[in-house]
Amino acid sequence: MSVPIFPIPMWEVSLTLFLVITTGVTVICAGALAYFRRVRMERPAVGTFNTRDVVILLIFIGVLPFVYGWLPVPLVTCLLAVTFAAALYIGYRPLLGSVGIWLGIGLLFGFNIWSSHHVMGTIPGWQVWYTEQSIMVGLGVIAVCNLYLQGGMKLRHVAWLSLGLAFYDVLFAAYYPLTGRLLARYITHPLTPVLGMRFGEVDYAVGLGDLLVYSLFFVAAYKAYGARAAAVAAGVIVVMGGFATAFIPFLFNLENANLDTLIPAQSLFGPAAFVAYLWMKRHYGRERTMAEYLASQDGAAAAPQVEQAPAPEPASI
Amino acid sequence: MFETGVRQFRLALGMTQGRRLDPRNVARLVDDVLATLAEFGEPGADAAELIEGPMSSPEARLEVTNNSLRRTARRLSSQSPFYARRFASAQVDPAKLDVARLRTIPVTRKQDLIERPEDFRCTDVPAYLATRTTGTTGRPAEVWLSRYEMELWPALGALASVLRGELLPGDIMQVNISSRATAATHLAANSCRLVGAGWRPLGIVPPEASLEGLAEGGATILFTVPSYLAELVTAARCRGMAAGDFRLRRLVVGGEVLSASLARAATRTFGVPLVEDPYSMTEILPITGRTCSQAHQHHDLNLGLTELVDLDTGEPAAPGALGTLVITPYFPYRDCTPVFRYDTRDVARCLPDTSLRCELAGIPATSQILGKADHLLRVPGGDVVTPRQLIEAIESLPAEPWPARYRAAAHDGRIRLTLPASAIADCGEAEARRHFAAAGLDIDLDIVGSDQAASLRRTRSDLHETTFASQRAFAGA
Repeated sequence: MSVPIFPIPMWEVSLTLFLVITTGVTVICAGALAYFRRVRMERPAVGTFNTRDVVILLIFIGVLPFVYGWLPVPLVTCLLAVTFAAALYIGYRPLLGSVGIWLGIGLLFGFNIWSSHHVMGTIPGWQVWYTEQSIMVGLGVIAVCNLYLQGGMKLRHVAWLSLGLAFYDVLFAAYYPLTGRLLARYITHPLTPVLGMRFGEVDYAVGLGDLLVYSLFFVAAYKAYGARAAAVAAGVIVVMGGFATAFIPFLFNLENANLDTLIPAQSLFGPAAFVAYLWMKRHYGRERTMAEYLASQDGAAAAPQVEQAPAPEPASI
Repeated sequence: MFETGVRQFRLALGMTQGRRLDPRNVARLVDDVLATLAEFGEPGADAAELIEGPMSSPEARLEVTNNSLRRTARRLSSQSPFYARRFASAQVDPAKLDVARLRTIPVTRKQDLIERPEDFRCTDVPAYLATRTTGTTGRPAEVWLSRYEMELWPALGALASVLRGELLPGDIMQVNISSRATAATHLAANSCRLVGAGWRPLGIVPPEASLEGLAEGGATILFTVPSYLAELVTAARCRGMAAGDFRLRRLVVGGEVLSASLARAATRTFGVPLVEDPYSMTEILPITGRTCSQAHQHHDLNLGLTELVDLDTGEPAAPGALGTLVITPYFPYRDCTPVFRYDTRDVARCLPDTSLRCELAGIPATSQILGKADHLLRVPGGDVVTPRQLIEAIESLPAEPWPARYRAAAHDGRIRLTLPASAIADCGEAEARRHFAAAGLDIDLDIVGSDQAASLRRTRSDLHETTFASQRAFAGA
């Protein structure tokens, strides 16, 4: 008969992870939506996100872990720095200006690199590192989410992307555990692409990619069909991206001595998001284009302030 | 979006390196613009740069011009028998050619093209389509075009048109120009195909048939010549048709002088904000010019070089002086029968040496086209009367005699203007003289019978094309 050796019960680990994911997702989705509603990013003269871009993105995501696994850690850090800097620059230059954004990027990166080397001997140190890390990752996700959506990415594209990532996650987490190896190799290094927190001896974290897909799904649903669809999307994210992901180890007893269980979150969320998209499409009809969304916002803004402007909904409702 | 970036890069690379462009790549970019419009309602903020090119600085413009001239001259010296001889006799090294040395090469005249058309054909390109000038100013010239040109030009035209919102899916373009203008009709047809717009080629048919197409046929764009537009306006007024009967959003004319009075009448009758009057010519395709709200003629920078050459000295026209437009389409935009320094004999005035303030201020400009150089009338004191002055004055007579039918000649230092009686029917000869004097024209009038009107001045609307509808005897036979 086996004897439990864990310092805390598994249900408590799952519950804490659920709270960490839900908190992170809530803040990032709310931030992405606020950005989407208030800030217009520059876009190229010609070009809109299309299905082939989803395929290209999936190929890129599929190849990238091998590159990261093959490159020396300092080079991976450099690549991540370029990626984060580009995302933050594109996303926040309209708000901070050129000088402000480079100053902000410098501070974020500087503190991140410093804290990665100097504060992680204690639990409060880890918590400082995770807090700073989470801020940077969250800002990056909000920027990239808006870059895609304001570039014409539709809910249809997000649904297919999440479905593709579901297969990716199953493949690279279960059959060919590259993701876990990468994380084990890179965690504690600067610019680790995770949002999380340490409580006691346990790290609770969610990956940047997962957060990006959640925020894309949430804001794309809002753009496509309005507030009600966004609420449905939020439900799917909380249930499948948060609850199911956090409680799978507890429900199926996927525990090990190091408590470093890696859950392929997209394999749970992807199919659910795709089904939710099909339901929305059937229920609400054609997605709004960016132009239609902006027109609906202009209409809402022009409405008298004393009356609550109705949430823009498709004609089929 | 990734693919669009790659396509734009390929296009930009081809343009800067001067290699033949891939028309299919440009056509796919048109699809990308359409997708962009469908999603965002308008292209991004940098669309103007995509069309006009990043050539706002004079230095960048000069460098691009010099490189393009050298590239074009190099090709012509090896592939065009006419220009191989011409460059050799002018002792011009194509590799060292630049704008400053351009004047050492004599201009090419229409007569050269008419007399030795085969010498202009490049030897490395199979000919695909022959097109002829209308011949209203004499014997027509024939220009052969390659398949590459006939695929590239509509694609480039469609790209610019959709980015400017000039041609959009759902538009119906009605074309009322001579059906023998094969290049122009082919370009219009393929531009519409690429954009997903409708195309109705009618030709110079009886105006009533065209009005049906404009009204019941739901045309949104009309492309015609000013003289035929005049006939349409007159016919529409006779039928009591007004702006509410039409769906037109654009009215485009070319090939002849458009008077302000006819343009005003056309805008009122057809309910469009303005009549667009771009400049183009069969021999110098695909170069075009655009008019702005201040009636300047702005000349294409990317596809070719436009010089304004003094009519007497052959030097660049001075500010305020008249000059003839001399145009060089660049390789790789002109392929099969290229011309170099082609003297169009279209006269314009050099604008004052001050910076432009119109919406197209970044693009070099001249005045509007004032008429053909061979139709200028010189009067004592060095003054010159242009065809545009005469047409503007005649078409603004109270009788609204559109299109203007006249003959003008200088006799003993005075201008004798022959008009049909119908032109002064509403005012009489004395009033007509005062009208012309007010327009700055001190002329002697000669009035002939209205039945002689068509023989006084040939217009493109005289190239009538019959239909069974206009020949009811045949239709019933």
